[in-house]
Amino acid sequence: MIHVATLALCLAGFAALAFATRRQQREFLGGPLQPAATYALRAIGTCALLIALGILVAWQGWGLGLVMFSGHTSFAAGIVFCTLIGYARREARTLQRR
Amino acid sequence: MKTDRNPQPAGQGIRQSMSSLHTWAGLLLGWVLYSMFLTGTVSYFKDELSQWARPELAHLSQVPDQAVVAQRVADEFSRMDGGVSQWSMRLPDARNNSVYAFWRTSARVPGQRGFAEANFDPATGHKVASRDTLGGEFFYRYHFQFHYMPVVWGRWLAGIAAMFMLVAIISGVITHKKIFVDFFTFRWRKGQRSWLDAHNTLSVFGLPFHAMITYSGLVTLMALYMPWGERAAFKAPAERAQLAAELSAFVPPGKPSGQKAPMASVEDMVRQAQERWGRDDVGRVNAVHPGDAAARVVVVRGLLGRVSMSPQYMEFEGTTGKLLNVRESVGPAAETRGVFYALHLGRFSDVVTRWLYFLVSAMGTAMVGTGLVMWTVKRREKLPNPDRPYFGFRLVERLNIASIAGLSLAMTSFLWANRLLPSSLDGRANWEIHVFFIVWALALLHALVRPAKAAWVEQLWAASALLFLLPVLNALTTQRPLWHSLAVGDWVFAGIDIMCWVLAGFHAVLALRTARQQAGFRSARKASRRAPIAVAAGGGAE
Repeated sequence: MIHVATLALCLAGFAALAFATRRQQREFLGGPLQPAATYALRAIGTCALLIALGILVAWQGWGLGLVMFSGHTSFAAGIVFCTLIGYARREARTLQRR
Repeated sequence: MKTDRNPQPAGQGIRQSMSSLHTWAGLLLGWVLYSMFLTGTVSYFKDELSQWARPELAHLSQVPDQAVVAQRVADEFSRMDGGVSQWSMRLPDARNNSVYAFWRTSARVPGQRGFAEANFDPATGHKVASRDTLGGEFFYRYHFQFHYMPVVWGRWLAGIAAMFMLVAIISGVITHKKIFVDFFTFRWRKGQRSWLDAHNTLSVFGLPFHAMITYSGLVTLMALYMPWGERAAFKAPAERAQLAAELSAFVPPGKPSGQKAPMASVEDMVRQAQERWGRDDVGRVNAVHPGDAAARVVVVRGLLGRVSMSPQYMEFEGTTGKLLNVRESVGPAAETRGVFYALHLGRFSDVVTRWLYFLVSAMGTAMVGTGLVMWTVKRREKLPNPDRPYFGFRLVERLNIASIAGLSLAMTSFLWANRLLPSSLDGRANWEIHVFFIVWALALLHALVRPAKAAWVEQLWAASALLFLLPVLNALTTQRPLWHSLAVGDWVFAGIDIMCWVLAGFHAVLALRTARQQAGFRSARKASRRAPIAVAAGGGAE
């Protein structure tokens, strides 16, 4: 259960960080966001990742907690990355059909 | 007076230098590194693969009481013909369904060390007759010492490859100037650019793991690579014995008294360890001179949940069961080494963390693979005549095919050999390994004689087919088909069957995409004759 919660937090964190980058904003949101919104997304993403780290460290201690955090962040970043690619390709196909 | 606002550096910039270093450090031993990474990745499920490789050993639905099991197997040793002067048993746990033990016989043939090994049934304590195989142990050993060469040479080769990897990681980080800006960037269908994005992503997402696994890999064999400090610091035998005690639970056997004495209850000794560490947290039990008045028994703690390989054990007097010594900590230097060792092996992991290890390590394998392929993609676009590339290009291209697609074929063939070779075959375990290397050599031959694209596609399809049919072969040759495994909750067998299908699908997708890219490449070249500028802008395709 803790693994699931941690992974969910890492996914949310990386999704927020992804949308805080200019390239993703241009590609998925139609244009760059206001600087304040970008900063907010960065803060939300960082907080989500830090909370995930806190949960794991509280559960397993620093040694095992950090190892698990490293695994969850790599895996979550991979999922967000693949989702963005899949979404972009679907959008491109839809545009081609139109 | 005119001034140059952007003066160019006289020599290469640091990034340019690091880029060249990254390219060549990654390529020269890239094929060795790829095979080390892939076999290391599957080794995170070494115990499960070994269970699968011995279908004669029954599935354990729950871990038996380790104290009772230890006593059963100890009794079996006491009944062995010729006597046993030393034994060591790994107790069953959540990942091992048998007791693996090795021992030294008292009556020795001159010139032989008299060691033997076997698996024992936890329920009866008797030896289990199972097929002769190394199972997952083969991939694990190959990963750091290879095969068909002296172990020390293999470990040196692995160490040199790991140093190249470390150089490639550090130079890669310096070269990649937009790590954070490009963190989620992937440009689809952009040829070399797409390969670079994939390589960067696989590298950056798993960067902490890649750096850790490479460095800790070097630490695991540091005594071999840099023995001089140890030799200079520890000269006396007593000092060397103390050093050994910091690194492992090995207790020097000493001399037997020659006076026979029955062993005290091993079950009670393990019971004391269970009270201290938990019911299922005993890893091994070792004994020296069992049946002699000088007998000693060491109960070693398991590794689950402990990010350190430093030894923790309880030492007992063999004849009375009196607790002599408890060791639960080592010095800071030994503990540093123990932590790195544990991080590399990941044996402390629960199931989820083990899968995370596997997945991120698979990213590392793909990172090396994409790096190797990128070397050819980058240079293909600059070839004066792509139909007749120069020798170096052809060599790298063919070695890439054999070491990437061919290794998948070879590893799957090893598992096929495990199911198909007769149990009565002499040196059966060695023959499974010979099959692995024969298939790998054939894959290289195939890659040399076929056109490159065709070789990629054919080998990927062959690997996919072998992987897809492996669960079928398992169902036909054992009593443990997938439906049976699912019905009894045997997730080791069911998991491996299902994983084979997932990997078969993955290889099929790679084969399909490679075949499709082939057509794209041809059409791109045709188009380039008509409109060279457009194709140059779009980039080539692999």
